[in-house]
Amino acid sequence: MSRPPLSQHTIGPFFPRSFVRPDDNDLARIGAGAPPSTRGERITLRGRVTREAGAACVNALVEAWQADAAGRFRHPADPAHALADPDFLGWGRAATDADGAFEFRSLMPGGYAEGNHHRAPHINLTVMASGLMRPLVTCLFFPDHPAENAGDPVLALVPPAARARLLARPEGLADGSRCFRFDLRLRGGATEETPFFCE
Amino acid sequence: MQPPDRFDPWPEGIEPAVPIPGYANTFTHLPSQPLIRRPATRTEATGPFRLDRKLPCGDDNLAVPGPGRIALGQLIHIAGRVLDEDARPVPGAVVELWQANAAGRYFHPIDTRDAPLDANFIGSGRVLSDAEGRYGFFTIRPGAYPVPGPATWWRPPHVHFSVLGPASLSRLVTQMYFPGDPLNPLDRILMSVPDAAARERLVARLVPPAEVGLGWLGYAFDLVLRGRAATPAMP
Ligand SMILES: [Fe+3]
Repeated sequence: MSRPPLSQHTIGPFFPRSFVRPDDNDLARIGAGAPPSTRGERITLRGRVTREAGAACVNALVEAWQADAAGRFRHPADPAHALADPDFLGWGRAATDADGAFEFRSLMPGGYAEGNHHRAPHINLTVMASGLMRPLVTCLFFPDHPAENAGDPVLALVPPAARARLLARPEGLADGSRCFRFDLRLRGGATEETPFFCE
Repeated sequence: MQPPDRFDPWPEGIEPAVPIPGYANTFTHLPSQPLIRRPATRTEATGPFRLDRKLPCGDDNLAVPGPGRIALGQLIHIAGRVLDEDARPVPGAVVELWQANAAGRYFHPIDTRDAPLDANFIGSGRVLSDAEGRYGFFTIRPGAYPVPGPATWWRPPHVHFSVLGPASLSRLVTQMYFPGDPLNPLDRILMSVPDAAARERLVARLVPPAEVGLGWLGYAFDLVLRGRAATPAMP
């Protein structure tokens, strides 16, 4: 039997604050109160979500998903899932504040082989906000890995002039570990918008 | 958790047509550039393991937040199954629900509308789908509320759902409507779904009293996620 998927709608402006708690934005913690995994380089990711004219998106929800430091997912779709870091979740969520700002903590992801290709280390970000009738999905890369980035099959699909907008920028240290900046521009024309993906 | 290994394109008419006239944020927030079509790699085909440890689940009674405290409004029960496109149950999905109170106001600092708050109604809950994919919430029927702006209209009573399923591509954010409400055909958001049958699937079905008892007016609503065809479940 076949069932068509349900239509998507906007998350609206009122996503409950109680659904986003401290440490929900830490991808390295598998549960509330669990210590973060230490199998990898601890990183912080900071950014802002903005819309037309650069105005802040308030109470937008950003969710992050990535492989562990060795490029594995603890999920049956990964042939190496049994080897994945059991103390690393790879998922987190954050709500934007009055300035549109969000923050994640994680471990530097590893790349992985996919068919004939190699995925460079990356983090998928999903943005949900008032006015977005479907979640917007993008993928951020790191400047540490220029050779892997050049061979990434997803980054290769992005118009060359827009690829730099998918690179996180180093921004000093936070709590002794490297910090990166990645801003999300939802609407701003061809020269400013973050590239978003669909499948 | 049985992950899908196939994600078909959205069938025609199911995705909302955007931007939506009168809904200003669909003009200021939606990218002007086309989305870039990419193949689903492992990152998209996977999702977090045992997310209920990160997001505590089991908060299924919004209408009775404590002993002797009962929210104002028509007490209702919403239940259904989380399914994939092959109608297979999706166990272990995190289902989040949030809604306005009976007066059409959200318990949220951003909702400053001049309508009463209810001290016994926060209006949010989170559950985990069981082995058969079933979920359920006890709550109240929300009120309608107006959308501000030059082209103002009233949102019909509706309940917001967020579902985190077995894969990133199964992520669903949607809204549930109530059968027969006269505001439904006037709602710009519901009507942005082009296909009438797809809109109908966003409307809950009344459940006979024999199935829920007389304490709660029962509604059935299935949450169908994207994805087909199982690979073996993780041992
Ligand atoms: Fe709403």
